[in-house]
Amino acid sequence: MAGEVLNATLSGTPAGTAAKEREEAIDPVYLRIRNLVYQTCGIYHSDEKLYLLVAACKRRLASGGVKAASAKEYLDALTSIAYKETETRALLNEITIGETCLFRSMPQVNALKNVLLPEIATERAKIGLKKLKLWSAGCSTGEEPYTMAMFLMEQQDTLLKGWTFDIQATDLNDRSVETAKAGVYGDYALRNTPDNYKRKYFGVADGGKLKVKDEVKAKITFQRLNLNDDSRMVFMKGMDLIFCCNVLIYFDMTSKKRVVQHFFSNLMPNGCFFLGHAESLYQVNDQFRLVHLPGTTAYRKPGPDAGRAVKP
Amino acid sequence: MSESVRDGLRKRIEKVRTLPSSPAVLKPLLELLRLEPEQINLKKVVELVSYDKTIAAQCLRIANSPLYGRSRETESIQAAIVTLGIQRVEDILLTCCLHKFSAGTKWATDPEVYWRHSLGCATVCRELAERIDFRDPEKAYLAGLLHDLGILVNSLAYPEEYHKVVAEAQEGGVPLAEQEMKDLGFTHAESGSILGTMWQLPTVIIDVIADHHDVERAPEDNPLVALVHIGDLLCRCRGLGYGYEEWRSVELASDPAWERLMKYGPRLASMDLARFTMDLDAFLPKVQHLVDAVFSSKVEHPAVEILR
Repeated sequence: MAGEVLNATLSGTPAGTAAKEREEAIDPVYLRIRNLVYQTCGIYHSDEKLYLLVAACKRRLASGGVKAASAKEYLDALTSIAYKETETRALLNEITIGETCLFRSMPQVNALKNVLLPEIATERAKIGLKKLKLWSAGCSTGEEPYTMAMFLMEQQDTLLKGWTFDIQATDLNDRSVETAKAGVYGDYALRNTPDNYKRKYFGVADGGKLKVKDEVKAKITFQRLNLNDDSRMVFMKGMDLIFCCNVLIYFDMTSKKRVVQHFFSNLMPNGCFFLGHAESLYQVNDQFRLVHLPGTTAYRKPGPDAGRAVKP
Repeated sequence: MSESVRDGLRKRIEKVRTLPSSPAVLKPLLELLRLEPEQINLKKVVELVSYDKTIAAQCLRIANSPLYGRSRETESIQAAIVTLGIQRVEDILLTCCLHKFSAGTKWATDPEVYWRHSLGCATVCRELAERIDFRDPEKAYLAGLLHDLGILVNSLAYPEEYHKVVAEAQEGGVPLAEQEMKDLGFTHAESGSILGTMWQLPTVIIDVIADHHDVERAPEDNPLVALVHIGDLLCRCRGLGYGYEEWRSVELASDPAWERLMKYGPRLASMDLARFTMDLDAFLPKVQHLVDAVFSSKVEHPAVEILR
């Protein structure tokens, strides 16, 4: 049956790079580290993903930045009064480190250009408000917010003429935020960036790299933010679009639900929430509505006229 | 659509020489479809298939396409029927019949695009029907396959005008039906239902052809219309549409069709729609393979020799 074939094709095997590490028996101490990381950071690694945590801890052990020679000693460091704060953050930096590139999701960019921005522009024209507020939550080293900034600047000649926009870019990882602020990227990170963008929005940096121009940087506010920090999350209000790609995957269901609820509250009515292309809010939140866009999906906060029948 | 426009359209459709009647085997096949499964005579099906060697060859090619999950090559019509099950063979035959009927005619639209969308929709409808425990999953495929019959009609009956319609729809990223209404004054839903009636297709299928863009107009006791409406939208959002990107957002759960379908597919409410959407991407290459199989007439299958 077609269904069976489909399922067989879909149950893909995980990436082979860490496969060897996964096969090795995992020191039970790592289960305690996992619980600790979960309690303090709300980032949970299931047995399936535990190897990622193990690899992060091992990188910390190998770095020489912590006085520990084994998993047990590392756990001690993470719990000692003297080191726990700095070491927990250092470990989180290892856990959340992620490689990404500018213009990573073209369907998302095109959906914004062809569907969502025209929709927003039509709505806003009615009230004469030409302002757009975006949030890249878990922005890593800045690729996503810069992509959005450049893309929106490009629309200012046409669709967004006379508009202003404000991009909030946050990440838990200090080091990522610093790298993001610097805005220097090599060929690998720029592999999807169209040439006209490279010419228009970048200057030359050392080592053949390109540096994002200050006029682009000026559109973005970078800051460190823990998505589990409820006291700060409540202040991220009035967003039209929120991007949170491949961040929630590290969260357990309880934290995920709480964070997503914050995103929901912080969005304007009809605002959209974007996840990574393989993520789903299934059973996480039932207030958001899944919206299909050309080649991609997003979640929309229902507006006051929700439930109105739309004839497609 | 006014009665006079409808009359004119009917006359125009009747005049198109490439649309004289349905393929000879279609009618007996549809009659077979209406029987209870245990009453269907296998031998009769094999006979019908073998009746036309072009159809037989295509049937085997399709039966061997990955979409039908064939791991081993099926070499005879008999074997295809036994392994795939009679309903699946009828699906394949209908697919072939439709292609045979439209082969060799001048198209205003790219026929491959039409077939990719029709076969894609048929497949998605059946898959969706199975996942939500829809009470009649077998009809889902047929309904999905035939829902856009009117595009074929418009393409053949109004070749010049329709070429422009498609080009403009593509340019503006708007749904075809919208552009048709603007340029022609009627949509493929209307012209398709006229041909469906001429072909004496089952009423439930004519409903689908006529109302798949306006589910609220369809009879409430025909859930196939809502099913195809959802399947059609999913296809069009996910690269299996009319050959271009439609620039719009679609909230399926807020669509009137969703609520209607819920009554007939109890598992729809709890279905992981995001995952189903991601699953659709895996359909694309398989549907393309099927389209290639339907279109490929260069390589004759060895089994055709046996049939002669």
